[in-house]
Amino acid sequence: MFELDALIAEQLTEVSLNSAVQVRCGNSNSFMVTASTMLPLIQSFGMGGVYISASRGAVEIIQAFESIGVDVSNIQFLDLVSSGILGGTDVPYPNVHFVDSPIMLESVLLRTLYILRTSTFERNFVLVDSINALSIYNDDRMLAEYLHTFINTFRQREVLSVLLNVPDQTPPLVLANLDLYCTSLIDRGQVVIQ
Amino acid sequence: MMPNSVYTRDRCVTGIHGLDEILRGGIPYGSTVLAAGTCGSGKTTLAMEFLVRGALAGEACAHFTATEPSVKLLENIRQYSFFDMNMVDTGLINVFDVDVLYSWLGLDKATFDLDDVHALIKAIVDIVNTIGVTRLVIDSVTTLCYKIKSEQLIRDFLFTLGKKLATLGCTTVLISEITSATENAHWSSFGVEEAIADGIIVMGDVERMGHLLRFLQVVKMRGTSHSRAKHSIELTQLGVMLTPMLKWGAVSDQTTRWGA
Repeated sequence: MFELDALIAEQLTEVSLNSAVQVRCGNSNSFMVTASTMLPLIQSFGMGGVYISASRGAVEIIQAFESIGVDVSNIQFLDLVSSGILGGTDVPYPNVHFVDSPIMLESVLLRTLYILRTSTFERNFVLVDSINALSIYNDDRMLAEYLHTFINTFRQREVLSVLLNVPDQTPPLVLANLDLYCTSLIDRGQVVIQ
Repeated sequence: MMPNSVYTRDRCVTGIHGLDEILRGGIPYGSTVLAAGTCGSGKTTLAMEFLVRGALAGEACAHFTATEPSVKLLENIRQYSFFDMNMVDTGLINVFDVDVLYSWLGLDKATFDLDDVHALIKAIVDIVNTIGVTRLVIDSVTTLCYKIKSEQLIRDFLFTLGKKLATLGCTTVLISEITSATENAHWSSFGVEEAIADGIIVMGDVERMGHLLRFLQVVKMRGTSHSRAKHSIELTQLGVMLTPMLKWGAVSDQTTRWGA
């Protein structure tokens, strides 16, 4: 049976809508941490949201949630991976949107804002999966600058930002900026060996 | 001593997400704005949204199309949820094929002389005056000016047209097709449009690792302070959306270290 981390839900009760939460996880527990974060947002807080998938295609993530009995049909997925694979955008889910590549950071921001403009939910979150995946494609300085813009854009709009991250796979500059801009930390990450 | 109040010009609120913020409230009324951009940069969509937002506010708008037939233009614009065909049916948005206009005026000829240019200006101004147009788009001024061979005549044409439209209180967007939107490029095809326009909005692409990101930059706008930064744009179903372009990613690959 799939076991969720109940302490994450408890920590999330303490954050406000204009918060930016850094969720640190490891390679082995990333889905458990993601699910433990998403579930209370959807089920307990009744929020809508945008799931930005940079690590895997949205279909794979949706099916992973379905396999543990979680309905994510009200969550909009912004898939940054599948456009890079011909045929990858032919998906059976109407809640999946695409951006050509994880390097088109501004397009990701604008598409997310567009999706939120069409949202029927009063309270929304934006979840980035993950910062370390974005760092594969993007220059450190640009990603650090992006985090600044991204977090402030959603804070201003009272949309909760949740930024998943595997710290030992993230460049130090990006990590430092993430620590600086995020207002809360949920740490389920691996020990960072410097 | 500080003045009691600062004079600000009335604005034509474009209604385009982000653009009015960049322009600190909108385009000063009666301005002639050159929207210069490379192919596929979103010029026509931007201009069409400018008209639709005006129509939604009850303004009469006109679009002179020289680059594609009006039927095709309307067909392309129908995908946007902000557009409603009723706006055309009720006369709030008026689309004119320039080729048809040429036929009416007997201007089916290869080149235009001074009289032809004056006839064209008079026709456009008469239409604007008759309908009471407050927002006008000419798409594109490049195509329109191809038939005018003298640079001086192009200058006269644009200057006179801009002046007459401003007198009528019409805010005009002249679309200009350019082949490059880099810092060394001209913002117009003939080199004279940019000098005559009250405002210049440049649209183009930044290439980042083989992907093209659309950008918009307000280079000049008389009568208002404004941002001159590059903004990234997306053409969504809800219309054009803008956000500041990342400073570390605002220049195309070949001139940046990380993309080299």
